[in-house]
Amino acid sequence: MRRYTRLYWEFAKSHMKVMMEYRIDFLIGVFSVMLEQFASIFFVKVVFDHIEQINGWSFYEILFIYGIAATGRSIHQIFFDNLWTLGWQYIRPGKLDRLLIRPVNPLFHVVADRLHQDGFGQLIIGLIILGTAIPQLDLVWGAAEIGMLVIMIISSGLIFVAINLFFATFSFWMIDSLPIVWAVFNMSDFARYPLTIYHKGIRMFLTWVVPYGFTAFYPAAYFIDKSGYKEFALWTPVAAIVCCVIAYAFWNRGLKAFASTGS
Amino acid sequence: MITVENLKKEYKLVKRDPGLKGAIKSLFNRKYETKHAVKGIDFSIEQGETVGYIGANGAGKSTTIKMLTGILTPTSGKVTVNGLVPYENRQKNAVNIGVVFGQRTQLFWDIPVRESYNLLKHIYEIPEHEYEETIGMFTEVLNLEPLLGIPVRQLSLGQKMRCELAAAFLHRPSVVYLDEPTIGLDIAVKVKIRKFIKEMNQRWGTTVLLTTHDMQDIEEICDRIIIIDGGTILYDGGLDEIKKQFGQKRVIHFELADKEKFVLPASLDGQVELLPNEEETKVSLSFDHETVKSSFVISEMMSMYEIGDLNIADPKIETIVEELYNKQEQGGKHEEILANS
Ligand SMILES: Nc1ncnc2c1ncn2[C@@H]1O[C@H](COP(=O)(O)OP(=O)(O)OP(=O)(O)O)[C@@H](O)[C@H]1O
Ligand SMILES: [Mg+2]
Repeated sequence: MRRYTRLYWEFAKSHMKVMMEYRIDFLIGVFSVMLEQFASIFFVKVVFDHIEQINGWSFYEILFIYGIAATGRSIHQIFFDNLWTLGWQYIRPGKLDRLLIRPVNPLFHVVADRLHQDGFGQLIIGLIILGTAIPQLDLVWGAAEIGMLVIMIISSGLIFVAINLFFATFSFWMIDSLPIVWAVFNMSDFARYPLTIYHKGIRMFLTWVVPYGFTAFYPAAYFIDKSGYKEFALWTPVAAIVCCVIAYAFWNRGLKAFASTGS
Repeated sequence: MITVENLKKEYKLVKRDPGLKGAIKSLFNRKYETKHAVKGIDFSIEQGETVGYIGANGAGKSTTIKMLTGILTPTSGKVTVNGLVPYENRQKNAVNIGVVFGQRTQLFWDIPVRESYNLLKHIYEIPEHEYEETIGMFTEVLNLEPLLGIPVRQLSLGQKMRCELAAAFLHRPSVVYLDEPTIGLDIAVKVKIRKFIKEMNQRWGTTVLLTTHDMQDIEEICDRIIIIDGGTILYDGGLDEIKKQFGQKRVIHFELADKEKFVLPASLDGQVELLPNEEETKVSLSFDHETVKSSFVISEMMSMYEIGDLNIADPKIETIVEELYNKQEQGGKHEEILANS
């Protein structure tokens, strides 16, 4: 573990040097993501200018859910973005071979191969949203609450990672599972709103099948008393760990299949 | 240090009829075709040996190397490298090996070469002083100094390959697998690379297993060759022996003013074979170097025809392989060849 932390740091240093060489690209990346996010928040704001509440949720509560999703997603985007490229950058062109002949965990290597600048825009936006929404919620913030918020956000990020890893792993058996990964990822947009506004079927799906519910709504519900999910929200970190374990086991199966087919 | 016993690899390919209809049909009713890429090979290699692993395209060379490095799991049979089974202890085995795949880069694409080496230093946990010493030496032998600051993607093929080689030897592995390290390179770079491999082998006793289609690589680097064809080993033995046994064929290409009129001179009949040559003005003659002298063939030809130009071809490894293969097909010889080695 210590070895991998140090190794990750070495990889990250190299990436940052490259990023600083291309400062303009870095800034454009960050800004375009921020712009994109502002646009969707603006849309929510417009809706709330006409109606006071949606299904009992106020604007700032929804903003808070949104903020958790954005921050959690930024963890995924900054550190794990390379999972998207698993099929077409690693498995297809045979680049995965390169990783298999090195004395490191290949998944670690894939992940450490990239640090994504756009994710920083996402992170900034997420923090701005949280900073705007939190003072408007009637909640007393102490160290325990802040600690809990951090745990929830990390869990949210890990669930994004696990779901992407799981579907990216299909690339071991098909040409490239990118379209599937993309389709599944788009479902996470639903989870940025209170799940209670949806039909029961969708709610169940986003909780038990593709558990994006745990990336935003449930963790946020912990801090909002009237949500009725305060207790259930405590399962978020557990859900994150379970998802990671399942996704990693599936990845290992994919690797094994790769070792026997060679493609 | 490397032992291979009855090693086999079969690839399963989905067989499908052409066209969309075939694609849809294969979704429901999958038919598999088995490709026997490696059909039960045996060999063992001692520490410090330099072995050329050769054979025609599709012979199974890369497949074997992938099994030796642990990338591929064999269908059956056994491999051990330094007492480890590579595909079971892939990461542990990786510490002691270096690999170059000529067709693709092992280095980090976007970052400067020096940074790449620095990352490798951490990946292989190379002690600082050892790293400095190694890098210093490689920079000199391979002339890397001007390349270190450039990202890999901006390097030419030859520059990249020099950097690649350094990367493969950086952690002083006990065995290095080189799969076509000289493919597509000019003579000057090839010479440099051969010299480097040789030097590393002498200095550190690194075991080298090399595949190539360039006979010159083999001549200059290897003491021993293993020839594989269609997934089976045809020959395993010293380089000198094989040249004595099979490399005595010479081919001379003559450029004639008038090819139409050409008939083989009577004095060469029975000793020299006329090879098919597509070119309109050229005639190719093949003969046994031991029994017929090149000078004799040339003088006979010159006395009868007007020769514009001529060229004596090296014995090509492909020719030797082909020769061996033909002998095997003619029956029986195969065992004899192996028994001799
Ligand atoms: N991943 C794969 N799936 C299916 N068949 C494969 C795969 N890799 C190789 N083959 C087949 O196995 C055989 C051996 O291939 P291999 O790459 O080992 O040959 P090689 O000796 O390295 O040839 P070359 O000199 O062209 O590099 C070939 O017939 C090839 O088509
Ligand atoms: Mg090959």
